Amino acid sequence: MTNTLLKLSRATREVNSGSKAVKLLEHIDLTVTEGEFISLMGPSGSGKSTLLNCIGMLDSFTGGGYTFLGEPVHRMKEKNRSKLYKEYIGFVFQAYHLIDELTVFENIETPLLYKNVKSSERKALVADMLDRFNIVGKKDLFPIQLSGGQQQLVGIARALISKPKLILADEPTGNLNSKQSEEIMELFSQLNKEGVTIIQATHSENNASYGSRIVNLLDGKIVTE
Amino acid sequence: MLKNYFKIAFRNLLKNKVYSFINISGLAIGMAATMLIGLWVYDELSYDDYFKDKATIAQVFQHETNNNETDTSPAIPRPLEFALRENHNDNFEHIIMSSWEQSRYLKHGEVNIYTTGNAMQEAAPEMLNLEIIEGVRDGLKEKNALMISESTAKALFGSDVAIGKIVKVNNEHDLVVTSVYKDIPKNNSFSDMEYIMPWKHYITTQPWLERAKNSWGNSSFQCFVQINNNTAMDAVSDKIRDVKKIGDPGEAEFNPEMFLFPMKDWYLRADFENGVQSGGRIENVWLFGVIGLFILILACINFINLSTARSEKRATEVGIRKSIGSQRGQLIFQFLTESFLIVLLSFVFAVGIVILFLNGFNNLASKAIVFPWANPMFWMVSLGFIILTAFLSGSYPALYLSSFNPVAVLKGTFKAGRYSSLPRKVLVVTQFTVSIALIIGTLVVMNQIQFSKDRPVGYDKEGLLQIPVMSSEFVGKHETMRTQFIASGGAVSMTTLSSPTTSVWSNRSGYTWEGKPEGFQEDLAHTSVNYDFVETLGLKLIEGRGFSREFATDSNAVIINKTAASYMGLTNPIGTLIRDSDVGDPNPEPPLKIIGVVEDMIVQSPYSPVKQAMYPFEKYGNIAFYNLRLNPEKSTGENLEIIKGVFKKNFPNTPFDYQFVDQEYGKKFRSEERIASLAKVFTILAIFISCLGLFGLASFVAEQRTKEIGVRKVLGASISQLWLLLSKDFITLVVISLLVASPLAYYVMGQWLQKFSYRTSVGWDVFAVACIGALVITLITVSFQAIKAATANPVKSLRTE
Repeated sequence: MTNTLLKLSRATREVNSGSKAVKLLEHIDLTVTEGEFISLMGPSGSGKSTLLNCIGMLDSFTGGGYTFLGEPVHRMKEKNRSKLYKEYIGFVFQAYHLIDELTVFENIETPLLYKNVKSSERKALVADMLDRFNIVGKKDLFPIQLSGGQQQLVGIARALISKPKLILADEPTGNLNSKQSEEIMELFSQLNKEGVTIIQATHSENNASYGSRIVNLLDGKIVTE
Repeated sequence: MLKNYFKIAFRNLLKNKVYSFINISGLAIGMAATMLIGLWVYDELSYDDYFKDKATIAQVFQHETNNNETDTSPAIPRPLEFALRENHNDNFEHIIMSSWEQSRYLKHGEVNIYTTGNAMQEAAPEMLNLEIIEGVRDGLKEKNALMISESTAKALFGSDVAIGKIVKVNNEHDLVVTSVYKDIPKNNSFSDMEYIMPWKHYITTQPWLERAKNSWGNSSFQCFVQINNNTAMDAVSDKIRDVKKIGDPGEAEFNPEMFLFPMKDWYLRADFENGVQSGGRIENVWLFGVIGLFILILACINFINLSTARSEKRATEVGIRKSIGSQRGQLIFQFLTESFLIVLLSFVFAVGIVILFLNGFNNLASKAIVFPWANPMFWMVSLGFIILTAFLSGSYPALYLSSFNPVAVLKGTFKAGRYSSLPRKVLVVTQFTVSIALIIGTLVVMNQIQFSKDRPVGYDKEGLLQIPVMSSEFVGKHETMRTQFIASGGAVSMTTLSSPTTSVWSNRSGYTWEGKPEGFQEDLAHTSVNYDFVETLGLKLIEGRGFSREFATDSNAVIINKTAASYMGLTNPIGTLIRDSDVGDPNPEPPLKIIGVVEDMIVQSPYSPVKQAMYPFEKYGNIAFYNLRLNPEKSTGENLEIIKGVFKKNFPNTPFDYQFVDQEYGKKFRSEERIASLAKVFTILAIFISCLGLFGLASFVAEQRTKEIGVRKVLGASISQLWLLLSKDFITLVVISLLVASPLAYYVMGQWLQKFSYRTSVGWDVFAVACIGALVITLITVSFQAIKAATANPVKSLRTE
């Protein structure tokens, strides 16, 4: 398992703030191979989230190259990009970001809807996921009825449902207490062992220690690896 | 997928009950109003659809020019028929001469009814495609035949067989019922034609009808035609244009032009202005069509505004969906699905509202519209209507909401920009502009009606009764009736008229008088009257005197109105002789001597100047009405009882029919009043819908600014300051709307008033009322939320952070 999953070369993101151009990310070179568990570290504002968003194709680099599974993302149209990340990328957020109006079951199911998976298959897949995360009993509850840790579990289940190659997690435990954090991180390393590539942004040394590799960012640049 | 969308939409509806209520009720009311207007418009447009040959049926009209003023009228002379049959027959499927619709007494055994009908030529049942339920289709073949409507048959014979029964018409002629036709439904011409008698019979009933056979100058008849299928209406119309000029070159000085007025225009486009077709009811159809559309748009605006105002709440969902793989198109589709669901729900409620209020609406609009359950067209149109509304109200929110950047929203840095509320403000201004314009419009219409109602009519219309007496049994009885009526104490005076008090049935020309300008083509309203004309009607004499039994010569006397005096150029009218200008007549009419000039009396339209009129003393039995001045000492009910008693004593078998002149006069305002009351209802609805939206917006603004209000309160702001702070923005919007709507309404209503020559002006008071009204309504709507927010405990609102 040493295939290159994605590769950034001199990737830059620049935005205009007032009349000044601000470089959020500058000349990032990063190669991620399948099966890695990378932790992005650095102080607030160092560009961790921006980098995750850009890798996840929610945002885009304004300069440099980005190839994902050998395909040049920086030259792709919105539609193909969306296809690519629908297929291969799952997101986990600090604030969980579940849809309040949907039940646990429906939240997990939603990505499959966007992939046009058939109803019977969807049910089976979601049922498996609920089983695996031990939340079968909660499937008809709404997010508001769950604890933070449980919500994040649902968030991860939702990220995993479409069998992504890469999970991007932005401070996944930022809103959780230490016991819940530990559980989530255990889950991540379990997933990583099963072959899922993970990139997480975190402030916590402890969380970072679950990973196989640490990348330190400061002012939009990689300082150490 | 769709199921998922519907689920989300449904849960959202349940979660935000106030929002859903405002949205759905607003849309439902708007849709119901639009639907009612739609049904009304459809009803108006389908007038005369009962007639299968609507497209090819027409009536012959004629233009005539007097003093450069062209008059257009359906009245045509008898020789027209022969000219058409002789020279143009191949263009027509049917040519049918007809009398005017007239009330007659129909009597069978003890039953005597007074009902309206026409005399027509044989092919009428064929052309009108009457549905015969008893007897034969060509029921006018025999001279003594009579065709009656189903309801007439029921009134005369109950459930007995009608065919072959003898009916005595006007107590004079025996006619035999040959067929019974199904009543022509309302919303069609001829719908109150309760019987048809043969033309052949009609023309023998009075000598003048026979004499009119060769007179091109006597336009006292109607002619309906159906053109051949292979010809065009315009072409035939052109061909017959000069028929009258050719038939009688002597008439050429009035430039008579005949033309076909197609049935499809009879109801909707019946106005002519100086010889040119100039619209008619179709204008109201357009007016209300536009109002209906506006009301729907107002309701859609509520939807748009509330959805975008709530955007921050939906933003997270958009962000999440985008981050887990939704494309923008899918989001747009989702939001459109939501609006479709809401519109669909609203439609269901709208149908309920329409069914609930259809009766009331029918009364208001004097219609007989039924809900078209079984009409597939209706459901097709409704579906289109739903889709249109869903798009109209859903596309802007869908495009707006789906455009959010997921990164920004999920990070929580999303804030609706400084200008994001601008479109919302524009839409609110649009709503209030429409509402205020409607308020002003309605007020102007109401003002115009009141203004015309307040116009002095020139006579005393209260306590004045008219009894129609157009039947042979009344002939020559008026003097004894007068004596009896007055002796009975039910009336204080009586006269007779040859037209109703509120209408003119006859216009005359062909006179000369001293000082008549060369080439002057006079046209005078002509009503024969009787002794006590001035006293009974309460007219004001300006000069001279009324008719008097003391002057034997008064049988050749005439009274004219003020307008006639100046119209004829008479500076000293009393004593002037009006002569028949036909000098070749071997048996000339004696000249009429003017004995009095009376104040103008409004007889025709209350919106137009009074027409020059002459009131000669009747001497040919030309009496259509007894006009009675009721005894002011007694109540109307008592007077009526007494008068009815006298009437019944003299005419025991004749139904006592009567009209109060003031009520008849009131009918002249009906169509305008109907417009006003419809406009009132729809204006109120428009205001209500706009306020509903404003209420929703105000509640969102209050919610959004909870924290700000809390901080301000802690800093010492008073409730009234906060109330002002929250209300100010909305008041500004309404003021802008006022500024936009006022000149617009001023212009449009100014144009509308142009069609009345007796008209009010669009005064400042109207604008003041609209202005104050709009502001007060806005304040009330907005204040509820503002005060609620301002009085909330700041500790609570600040703690939620």
